[in-house]
Amino acid sequence: MIIVVTILLAAALMLGLALLFTITLGVAKVRLHVDVDPRIERIEQILPGANCGGCGAAGCASFARAVVEGKLPTGGCPVGGADVSALIADIMGVEFSAGHPLRPVVRCQARQEDRLGRAEYNSIGTCDEANVVGGLQACTYGCLGFGDCFDACRYDAITMIDGLPVIDYEKCTNCGACSKACPRNIIARVPFSSETMYAVACSNRDPGRAMKNICKVGCIACGACAKAAGELFEVKANLAELNYDAYTQADPSPAAEKCPTKVIIPFGSNGKCP
Amino acid sequence: MIAELLLILLTAVLINNPVLYYFLGLCPYLGVSNKVDMAFGMGMAVTFVMTVAASLTWVINNLIIFYLNTGYGIDLGFLRYIIFIFVIAGTVQLVEMFLRKFFPSLYDRFGIFLPLITTNCVILGCCLWIDVKGYNLVAGQEGVAVSWKFLQALLFGIGNGLGFTLAICLMAGIRERLNFSDVPRDFRGVGITLIVAAILAMAFMGFSGIGG
Repeated sequence: MIIVVTILLAAALMLGLALLFTITLGVAKVRLHVDVDPRIERIEQILPGANCGGCGAAGCASFARAVVEGKLPTGGCPVGGADVSALIADIMGVEFSAGHPLRPVVRCQARQEDRLGRAEYNSIGTCDEANVVGGLQACTYGCLGFGDCFDACRYDAITMIDGLPVIDYEKCTNCGACSKACPRNIIARVPFSSETMYAVACSNRDPGRAMKNICKVGCIACGACAKAAGELFEVKANLAELNYDAYTQADPSPAAEKCPTKVIIPFGSNGKCP
Repeated sequence: MIAELLLILLTAVLINNPVLYYFLGLCPYLGVSNKVDMAFGMGMAVTFVMTVAASLTWVINNLIIFYLNTGYGIDLGFLRYIIFIFVIAGTVQLVEMFLRKFFPSLYDRFGIFLPLITTNCVILGCCLWIDVKGYNLVAGQEGVAVSWKFLQALLFGIGNGLGFTLAICLMAGIRERLNFSDVPRDFRGVGITLIVAAILAMAFMGFSGIGG
């Protein structure tokens, strides 16, 4: 008998509490209501949720809000790529045209042994500082090798081998943090129209005669690439440059063959990164 | 009388600090202690939840369960944990709605840590400690004013909340200055925070024994 009463009283107590809180929270929901655009939550759900900041907003929730307010483009998420951008455009009710993802390319292929050093360096050990202080290597455009890009990458996609960053394109989310971190703008963001893309792995604009002392594997601006594939390559200010807009129409491999210092190399999942 | 109440408050804040003495509530402690203004906001939210939860659970525990037990011999003590969690969850929901309406920037910055107060052991711990520390009605203790015990429990709840606020604001202040220090790479973030928390706990041990 007493067990039955206990059970009934327990049920009554829980029910009473439930009613009390239902009423309180129900009233609170009405009084403390905040109007939120439902599209924000829908967009938030389809975003990758990496909170990498590659879009320029402070996390995925902020990006969703910025897109709905019209402050950021629907195609702004580099991690989500074309699929996510198409879905976002769908939610927002706009047309979407896919572009090519911007992937990082390290425009330097000099390992520690290829570079000509100058002064001894005994300071903090960051590229930023070494760039400002200067004088530790002959090439003033090339990679310093202290790994500011490696520190910036939150996805473990960069490894420093012999003082040169090597990007693992499987892990890379194209967030652009490495590109921002490099004080010499060596890591460029290149539109990848295929899995593997060629790039000029040098950023040095010193004249060709000086190059053979500065770096064994740098661009000497001989113009052989421009002769082999004129629509793609142009030598500007002592450095060969690749025109990525014309990439889909022409093949850079003959130019890569002709290059005397072999500075035009493939990057990407199937390429042999230096 | 007042001295006793003040002692309860002081004990909860300094001597038996819920974070630095009992090591409860470490999740928001480590997660929200990056900036002092955020830490203070979290501390205030936790204090509010703790006060309301402590009072409400005290009322249910001592005016319903205890009354049923001594008056009618029906022991509903098994419901205690469920009811405590229920009340805490409801209170946190209220706090969330309130913050979202009146302090939207704070709500955004807290993110997931606000609903995490619900499952936080420090709130439940405070509610359960009220029984352990004897601020509840016990059978056989006639002549004790109910309101006096309630006041003790209420001050205990407020004190725990203030203690949490103190600990988290201290940590936030230290972390803001740690930003400019040369922390070894593998210790950065949570690692050095835990070590600092340990040192803070050792410092607060100096208070132990005061108040008996």
